[in-house]
Amino acid sequence: MKTLFAFTKKEFFEVRRTGKLLIIMLLFLIFGIMNPATAKIMPVIMDMLAESMTESGVVIKDIEVNAMTSWAQFFKNISTILIIFILLFSDVFTKEYKTGTLQLVLTKGLARHKVVIAKTLSILSFWTIGYIFSFSVTYGYNEYFWDNSIMNNLFSSVVLWWLFGVCVISLIIFFSSFLQNNIAVLLSTGGVIILMYLLNVISKLKPYIPVKLININPLLASTEEIDAYTKAIIVTIIFSIVCIASSIPILNKRQF
Amino acid sequence: MLTIKNLKKSFGSKEVLCGLNLSIPKNSIFGFVGKNGAGKTTTMKIILGLIKADSGTLYVMDKEVVFGQPNINRYIGYLPDVPEFYPYMTAKEYLKFCGEISGMDKKDVSARSNELLELVGLANEHSRIKGFSRGMKQRLGIAQALLNRPKLLICDEPTSALDPIGRKEILDILVTLKKQTTVLFSTHILSDVERICTDVAFLNNGKIAIQGTVTELQNKRDSNEFIIETERKEDLNNLIGAFNNLNLTDKNSLIFNGTEHEFFSFINYIADKKISVQKIERIEPTLESLFIEVTT
Repeated sequence: MKTLFAFTKKEFFEVRRTGKLLIIMLLFLIFGIMNPATAKIMPVIMDMLAESMTESGVVIKDIEVNAMTSWAQFFKNISTILIIFILLFSDVFTKEYKTGTLQLVLTKGLARHKVVIAKTLSILSFWTIGYIFSFSVTYGYNEYFWDNSIMNNLFSSVVLWWLFGVCVISLIIFFSSFLQNNIAVLLSTGGVIILMYLLNVISKLKPYIPVKLININPLLASTEEIDAYTKAIIVTIIFSIVCIASSIPILNKRQF
Repeated sequence: MLTIKNLKKSFGSKEVLCGLNLSIPKNSIFGFVGKNGAGKTTTMKIILGLIKADSGTLYVMDKEVVFGQPNINRYIGYLPDVPEFYPYMTAKEYLKFCGEISGMDKKDVSARSNELLELVGLANEHSRIKGFSRGMKQRLGIAQALLNRPKLLICDEPTSALDPIGRKEILDILVTLKKQTTVLFSTHILSDVERICTDVAFLNNGKIAIQGTVTELQNKRDSNEFIIETERKEDLNNLIGAFNNLNLTDKNSLIFNGTEHEFFSFINYIADKKISVQKIERIEPTLESLFIEVTT
């Protein structure tokens, strides 16, 4: 336990010392501010475009901006943020393999499963903290400018998106346990996500596929309720646990 | 301290170790010598549990080494050929981290770190490791390897990438460790072995070609080679004409290589012809000549 704590502490220290922490927090802050800001300037942009659009036959009438506009931005942009986050953390294992830093740590008797647990804990923590930070910033501005209470199933939708992020992180951990470089890890993870989208076409499977979690428009529009997501939530949780757990025996067999 | 029996390891179709047997006595500085690619690093990594052997058994302090079970590593310190550390840490922070993951007591880590940084000459180095030279990293490598007072210290070619001063520093440190720990030290620099090692083994084609104490091995090969220098240069040509087991070196001296009986008649000839000799000296057997003999 003591050694697990020590290695986890090192993971957090690394993110702070290497400046990654600053990048993540700035990223999530900018993202948090960008959503209400885009909603706020949308009428101004539309006004500017109105004239030229009228000439081409499109008539823009008064645009109503509310909390919904800002939250729509939030759910539209979060995928980009998740991609940047994953890019930043895709080399947590592979960098240590390449430089040989992990090799030296293992010769000191640190059990390999502790490496997986420590790295998983640290990435999940940063994803969660950053995500809550962004959400709070957007929520605060939205409350100030408009009214968050008009939203349906806002918290459920936010949690579903967070869970999808956890699923992608578990894929990164899984592929890192046996692949040698982070490009391969990223491509494999991307491959699995594409596969999920392909399987999503089959209507019988649709309720079970993790990508269901990020299709939150029906939930926001109240055409579907959270019950419709239960199967996908259970599948995603099991899938993530299996990915992380199976990377332990794989790393145990890895030769350094 | 360490016993290896019939160790085998292949990478793909390439057999790197084919039945290696090795025994390392306690408190020795053991030179593990072999050409590049002979399997020195592979053997060391198997001892450390970093790679899995295909077959064979290993015992460290009478405890069997099992791949994937790192408990034995508590007794072992490891210095890789090119040690790599977390570049964002300082030397002291790195040692603190090593102490924590080895499960050492906090106070002990602090005291031991100071002592070791002093030993390796990094006590006043407060900058981050990313700015360290290769020699500094090697010295920090020794400090981290010794932190938990290992019973066995494994060094993988610790001197081969260093300049002469860096090399001397590392060798001097290793010599001072003799009383505290057993050192297994792989190298292809034979002068380093002659300088600090008590025991030596030559690895060739995945097996131990020869093993023993350094003095034993040096004496194993009776040298019948003599170096002869005469006062007058023309005598050298005279001698070459008379004996066919003489070779002229580029330094105006001769190398005699023959049996004892032949050597006596050679001496007689010199006495008969009254050739003034400046020097006759038996060439000391070296590990190098033995190494070349067993590995070629």
